[in-house]
Amino acid sequence: MLSTGVCGSGKGRAERRLPDQRTDSGYPEYAIEAEGLSMSFGDVKAVDGIDLKVARGELFGLLGPNGAGKTTTIRMLTTLLHPDSGRIKVEGMDASSQVYGIRGRIGVVQQHISLDKDISVRENLMHHAKLHKVPRPERAPRMDGIISLLGLEPYLGKLVSDLSGGWKKRTAIACSLIHAPSVLFLDEPTTGLDTQSRHLLWDIIQDLNREGTTIILTTHYMEEAEALCDRVALISRGRIVADDTPRNLCAGLGNIAVIHASAAGRDYRFFDTRTEAKAFADTLGAEEDSVSIRKTRLEDVFLEMTGRMAGTGPGGPAE
Amino acid sequence: MKHNIALESWNVAWSDMCYLRRNLPTVVLSSLVTPLLYLVAFGYGMGEGQSVAGVPYIAYLIPGIIALSTLSSSFSSVGNKILVQRKFYSSFDELRLCPVSTASLVLGKSLLGMARGAICSIILIVLGSIVAPDFHPGPALAAALLLSCLTFSLLGVLAGLLADSMSKMNLFTSTVIIPMTFLCGTVFDISRMPDWFQYAVNALPLTHSSSIIRATALDWAFPWGSAAALGGFALVFFVLSYYILRCRNV
Repeated sequence: MLSTGVCGSGKGRAERRLPDQRTDSGYPEYAIEAEGLSMSFGDVKAVDGIDLKVARGELFGLLGPNGAGKTTTIRMLTTLLHPDSGRIKVEGMDASSQVYGIRGRIGVVQQHISLDKDISVRENLMHHAKLHKVPRPERAPRMDGIISLLGLEPYLGKLVSDLSGGWKKRTAIACSLIHAPSVLFLDEPTTGLDTQSRHLLWDIIQDLNREGTTIILTTHYMEEAEALCDRVALISRGRIVADDTPRNLCAGLGNIAVIHASAAGRDYRFFDTRTEAKAFADTLGAEEDSVSIRKTRLEDVFLEMTGRMAGTGPGGPAE
Repeated sequence: MKHNIALESWNVAWSDMCYLRRNLPTVVLSSLVTPLLYLVAFGYGMGEGQSVAGVPYIAYLIPGIIALSTLSSSFSSVGNKILVQRKFYSSFDELRLCPVSTASLVLGKSLLGMARGAICSIILIVLGSIVAPDFHPGPALAAALLLSCLTFSLLGVLAGLLADSMSKMNLFTSTVIIPMTFLCGTVFDISRMPDWFQYAVNALPLTHSSSIIRATALDWAFPWGSAAALGGFALVFFVLSYYILRCRNV
């Protein structure tokens, strides 16, 4: 079972290899290398000089508020958008000159369901297998394995337009896996799903990662990032404002949080030890039920780094 | 990476063909209503008993209506589908994320229009053979139809890539497609019109489509100039679509 809600409690995190620990020979050390990525839409600078490295086999989270630049970054990394400036390498291949090589090695589950809704689940899977040039003898066994993994058997003949959101998402994930990608991009894969579906997808994501697939995940759910990711980068207004393991990010803020609720709102203070936190709480002289002490969560880091009110965090205005 | 353009194009089109197979009766019916209305209104309503360019008007009209149906079926099925896949379903991105060449993507997306245009044309050819004795379908007509369907399908790809909303697509249809429908020699002989009019409509692909389909269907001298012009339009639409996909963020 996955554990959630507390920094650094993600399954298997201790065994995961981080960028500086990778030494695979014969393969590039990094699955993703991006330098100085920038992208504007008219006057709006969506991404503003992002540098990013994701090690092979890492499960990397890209977090940020709405409009922070997560999806634009993912679209550039997956070759869907040409950046205004900057350089991207995926699995050692340059995105400006080896587009098709990269597309053959990555799987992408987009934020919005992007399947062909006019055809069935089975036809979508077959279409992706054909487009990704999965050899004919391998198509059936590979499809069977993925169908079984995602429990799609009862829905194979149904049109995608007739499926619920959760099953559409599972189908999208199935299609993204049909060519056994070495890097999988998941753009808010669990948004809108019920709790059961979300946890099932977490298990699938972790299994894929354990088998060696590098995963880049964007999400709004902090507990999801804590539970799954080896490392997370926080994006605000097109810039990366923090990049570390969830545990280190929490420790950087202070492992223990004191929350004081008053008529003026909630005040958050962070301390390294529970003793310091308790001592501070005692000085508040407030009613006992207006003060709470708990472990710092990634959500606290997120809010401190990106602003508790939308648009108040660091990273500068989005000119 | 080496690309097999023919195989990749077929793979791109495969999902569209699944859709076409599943919805064939609806697709055929919706594609045939307008051409049949033209046939009844112009052929039997207005042109009954008349002759044009030495043949009965109905025999003159049917090739024009076939050209018109290649335009309407091929263009609208491709253009609207690409626009919807790009802007509403994002499923066009799924195709762009696959290791298929840009040329395969353009040609593959045009295959639905070609198939739909060809199916509609075949039905009209059968009908034409029954109602017009001067109508002689053969391999040359088939080749003319394929070129016509390809040209208008590629125009559909281009429009689907350029339009960023349904209203823009409707505007293009109202200002370019519908005027072409009436002005490009599908229902009347443009040689009887003023010179300036002939110059103007010769700059539109449906005029040449109508010309080669009519010539091959009625055993007239083959208008090589029109065939070359139509091929030129197809090439321009292909190159522009290729450029947009390759060099612009769509």
